[in-house]
Amino acid sequence: MIRFVVFICGAIVMSFEILGSRVLAPNFGSSVFVWGSLISVFLAGLSAGYYLGGVFADRNPSSAKLGIMLIIPGILFLSFPLYSVPISDWIFMRDLGVRLSPLLASVALFLLPAIFLGIVSPYTAKLMICSHQTSGKTIGTLYALSTFGSIIGTLLTSFYLITVAGVTALIMAQGVILLASAIPLFFMRLHCSVANGEAVLQGKLPEGG
Amino acid sequence: MVKIMYLSALCVVLFTLQAFALEPAEKQLFEKNSFYQYISVVEDTAKKERYVRNQKREFAQGGIYLNAPEKLLFEFTQMGFVSLAFLDRDPKDVLFVGLGAGAMPRYFTGRYPDAVIDIAEIDPDMVAVAQKYFYFRENERMKVHIDDGRLFVKRTKKKYDWIVLDAYQNDYIPFHLTTLEFLKEVRSRLKDDGVIVSNITSTFRNRFFDSMVMTYKKAFAHFYIFKGRKSGNYIFVATAGSSLKDKDVVEARARKIQSVRKFDIDLEDFASRYESPEAYEWGGAKVLTDDFAPVNLYQYQKSGAK
Repeated sequence: MIRFVVFICGAIVMSFEILGSRVLAPNFGSSVFVWGSLISVFLAGLSAGYYLGGVFADRNPSSAKLGIMLIIPGILFLSFPLYSVPISDWIFMRDLGVRLSPLLASVALFLLPAIFLGIVSPYTAKLMICSHQTSGKTIGTLYALSTFGSIIGTLLTSFYLITVAGVTALIMAQGVILLASAIPLFFMRLHCSVANGEAVLQGKLPEGG
Repeated sequence: MVKIMYLSALCVVLFTLQAFALEPAEKQLFEKNSFYQYISVVEDTAKKERYVRNQKREFAQGGIYLNAPEKLLFEFTQMGFVSLAFLDRDPKDVLFVGLGAGAMPRYFTGRYPDAVIDIAEIDPDMVAVAQKYFYFRENERMKVHIDDGRLFVKRTKKKYDWIVLDAYQNDYIPFHLTTLEFLKEVRSRLKDDGVIVSNITSTFRNRFFDSMVMTYKKAFAHFYIFKGRKSGNYIFVATAGSSLKDKDVVEARARKIQSVRKFDIDLEDFASRYESPEAYEWGGAKVLTDDFAPVNLYQYQKSGAK
């Protein structure tokens, strides 16, 4: 299940980024500045998320807390249509120039979800390491799954999803997927506690993830 | 030994690629990767024509006859002027979305020197190319605004008699310039009985064409289609007014403009290609919106119409 969550989050990050370009175009065009803003804001969100995820992971991590980390971006995605248009319009009206306008819009619309999706990676790594002796292999597997998810998310969205459904519907569907993957995490009772400087697993990880 | 064989093989491959890049009589005058696109200016020394391309092996985006730069080289630029026959008066305020080589604004201002022309072009390098290689000049009545077409339309407070949409490339169509929302924004910039004209390339009838028909139908009370004979271009002409323009009225008006404004292209012949869009409608086509507009895919899918 944990592995599945990592894969899904990897897929959603990139899918959301592709859809983000569509969200920005009506107000900010689709120039290289728009793409540059979009990509850098996603990377900024992820790097902040990785750092925060690492910090949170050292404070009694549990699968239930991971669930909360998924519910927040899930709600952001589900309510995306409510705030994306007013925010885009507001920034468009201010007319801050071809570079600053899309950058600011990207920050407002995409930074927060990207941070939460970034938190997932180190957080799940810590949870998994608690249960496995081989931390190197565990981390490697999670990195690979997350990036593999990103590839699938990118290709699926740009090659296929964008041709079958609207951007808003797709973003909301991602919200639903995040919420749905959060639910089982609350029943897993997987958590680490730090005793005598060593991480000890409490609860059981289902075989095969 | 093996290395030398590899190297010579590589040379042969590179040499062949080089040969494929240009037609034998073509020579390249300019090449640049701008912020927005690849721009190449090529001269055909046999045909005595000069083109601007956005891909090495693609159709030209614009061009001129070297011996007669004041003439219009391409059918789609010529055909676009048929839309003037849908105006009851001379156009005073005009907007071009997309400059290309600047052939259409140049030709237009030559015939309507009193008109005030705005041109929205996103790429400053394209403007430089139009000036350096295609005799395009700005003046106090004809100004280029470096801006995304959609953003210019959204921001401008001005209203126009005639709006020309020509910002699609063959291989890349910016989706945000195809949607219902965009067309409504353009319509809101038209004076009461203003006219917009758009060049839709569809070398084989594709789904993008199907969807554009349905999107125009939704955005405008009336629009008309003119089909290219030499190329896969369709000209869409839409009017802001609510009344239908009859074919004979348009033809008569085209005849009049032709003689008064001394057009050296056959406007009347273009007017005779007047078609109502019903013939092109396919119910299965989806209206393009900001939310849903898979234009890049639709370009490669065959039309659903029989």
